[in-house]
Amino acid sequence: MAKVKVKTFSVIRDVLGADVVEITVDNPETVSGLFEALLRLYGQPFKDKIWDPNTGEMAPFLMRLNETIIRSTSDMNMEIRDGDELAIIFPIGGG
Amino acid sequence: MAKGFKYGGYIGQLLRVNLTNKGITKEPLREDWARDFVGGVGLSARILYDELPPRVDALGLENKLVMMTGPVNGTIIPAASRSSVCAKSPYTGSFFHSIFGGFLGPELKFAGYDGLIIEGQADYPVYLWIDDDKVEIRDAGHLWGKDPFKTQEVLRKEIGDEEIHIATIGLAGEEKASYAMILCDIRAAGRGGMGAVMGSKKLKAIVIRGTGGVTVPNVLKVYNTAIKLNELIATTPAVQGLSQYGTPRNVAAMNEGGILPTRNWQTETFAGMVNITGEAMREKVVKGDRACFACSINCTKYSVVPKGPYKSIINGADYETIYGFGSACAVDNIEALCKADELCDEYGIDLISTALCIAWAMECYEKGIFTREDTDGIDLKFGNADGMLQMIEKIGKREGLGALLAKGTRAAAQIVGKDTCRFAIQNKGLEWPGHTCRPFPACAVGYATGPRGGSHHDIRPTPEKSGLVDRKILEGKGALAAEINHWLILADSTLLCHLAEPIWGPIKINDSLIEALNSVTGWELDYQGARKIAERQWNMIRCFSAREGFTREDDQLPVRFMEEPVPEGPMKGSYIPRETLERLKDDYYTYRGWDLKTGNPTKAKLSELGLDFATEDIG
Repeated sequence: MAKVKVKTFSVIRDVLGADVVEITVDNPETVSGLFEALLRLYGQPFKDKIWDPNTGEMAPFLMRLNETIIRSTSDMNMEIRDGDELAIIFPIGGG
Repeated sequence: MAKGFKYGGYIGQLLRVNLTNKGITKEPLREDWARDFVGGVGLSARILYDELPPRVDALGLENKLVMMTGPVNGTIIPAASRSSVCAKSPYTGSFFHSIFGGFLGPELKFAGYDGLIIEGQADYPVYLWIDDDKVEIRDAGHLWGKDPFKTQEVLRKEIGDEEIHIATIGLAGEEKASYAMILCDIRAAGRGGMGAVMGSKKLKAIVIRGTGGVTVPNVLKVYNTAIKLNELIATTPAVQGLSQYGTPRNVAAMNEGGILPTRNWQTETFAGMVNITGEAMREKVVKGDRACFACSINCTKYSVVPKGPYKSIINGADYETIYGFGSACAVDNIEALCKADELCDEYGIDLISTALCIAWAMECYEKGIFTREDTDGIDLKFGNADGMLQMIEKIGKREGLGALLAKGTRAAAQIVGKDTCRFAIQNKGLEWPGHTCRPFPACAVGYATGPRGGSHHDIRPTPEKSGLVDRKILEGKGALAAEINHWLILADSTLLCHLAEPIWGPIKINDSLIEALNSVTGWELDYQGARKIAERQWNMIRCFSAREGFTREDDQLPVRFMEEPVPEGPMKGSYIPRETLERLKDDYYTYRGWDLKTGNPTKAKLSELGLDFATEDIG
């Protein structure tokens, strides 16, 4: 199994309850698989922050996987392994 | 739809006030201009293009200040409380629009006017009192010299009505300081020196009380649209969190992504970030939340620092305060940032320009170009909160180094020389907001070609910043920038708030924007119809700039962004070299049907958009 650190901010951090949480997933796992694990753990409140109910799709956002910036719109099949860190860099409208 | 106006949402009447001869006239709104330019910024651009002679002195007798609403203002449509203030800018030298939220715009409509055109100059300080049909120009001698909040307090007492709404200037506006702003109740029309234009007319305040309403053709349709939009606001992930944390919601995430401008943009990662996030602000200073008229986003935070050297009460801080006085000046004390925000409001100066002028001066100090002798003894190093606050006061009073910085970074760098223009973070004279373009090509060409220069509301980084569009690809970015321009200008003419960006945009005009406009006006615009209006608006503004002498050569980025890659963090190595920018400009002009050499709209494009009258003006 792989232990992966997930770093979040603002309202997503509020749902997870800490700046960084450690999630156990298969080794290797995909980014998509990690999000499925997060959804199982944190349920509807997490889903509300990540998936757009109006389209049913995951919202577009960037992530930092270790030192690389990746996209929710194209990179969800990237592999993650034991010891990796994923930060969710969620955009905000307007301001 | 009062007075038999053809379209819903409009009052059908403009108020024109001439401060030279004290003339007050009410005139019908042209139906063809409402249909072709909608309202707000688009309509103001059309009016000012028509009424201003070319190359008019922005602080002279002939410039005009236009405050304009849009058709949705004053209805129950959410995120639609905004109003525009437009004029030729003394800061950038071209058409400028500054947008503010709150209640004042809807109140102007309730008083019976879609917009207000101020012309001429009074020979003594005055304020304008609009009480429904009754309009008076009153002596403001007793208000001159007072800060905006004190002015509002005196006027509320004098008029005896707590429900009036007030737009006022501070000391900076009175003295025609280049980046003076207008405070509209608690919200600012901050950018581009609109307060200086108001001050040049010796107009201290505009006071409005309206008791009328706004008529729409189908109330149920507007009601259903409002319900749908409120549902979208509540559930769209990229809008959530504004209610809890305001616009600083994203500070930590931006730092994590390596896109939080720091130390006058020398880097884009700030070590002190954790102390100035939306979360830190909520924990330490926020005491309540405030919303604009009929809006469910609730983004404004009411913050109090109860005691100590940074004692202050503000409506904020917004992200631009956190960026400008925080990371850009490397100050990580949230209470000091609140004080900085309060000082800018009290003096009536634009906080983004103020902050970036200080950040530029800090870099001059760091490089040894300024010494303590130049800074009036202030140790103006990055991170010195007290030095930063002292410098705001000096800018407000235009004392010592403050007098130089009050001219803006472009002018200050020209005066100081020594290559300091390389780190003056401005284009077209306007200092930059806290949204980088170095990793984002569409955003870069949007900033470069934008009519205002350093405005994140002529272009948005969001499509590339969210990953919705691949930031690493150059192809198609001219088209993307143009379509982002279009949803922004149509929103700024309908007068919808950009905080609901994912709902109105974010990569092109969204169906929700068209639905909001159609439901109120009774129009049946489809996407192509809405896009054509937006394209017409954008080209109208470009014609204004061209008539003022702006060309392709003026479409630049701050030198730093073209020469210095981001030095560290996840976006390390990102920048927009000059040749890349030129290629992006070609792409953008081609997509727009503009001349590649001049950057001006072609005759064919103007004809297509019904702007033939501008052809001769721009050669």
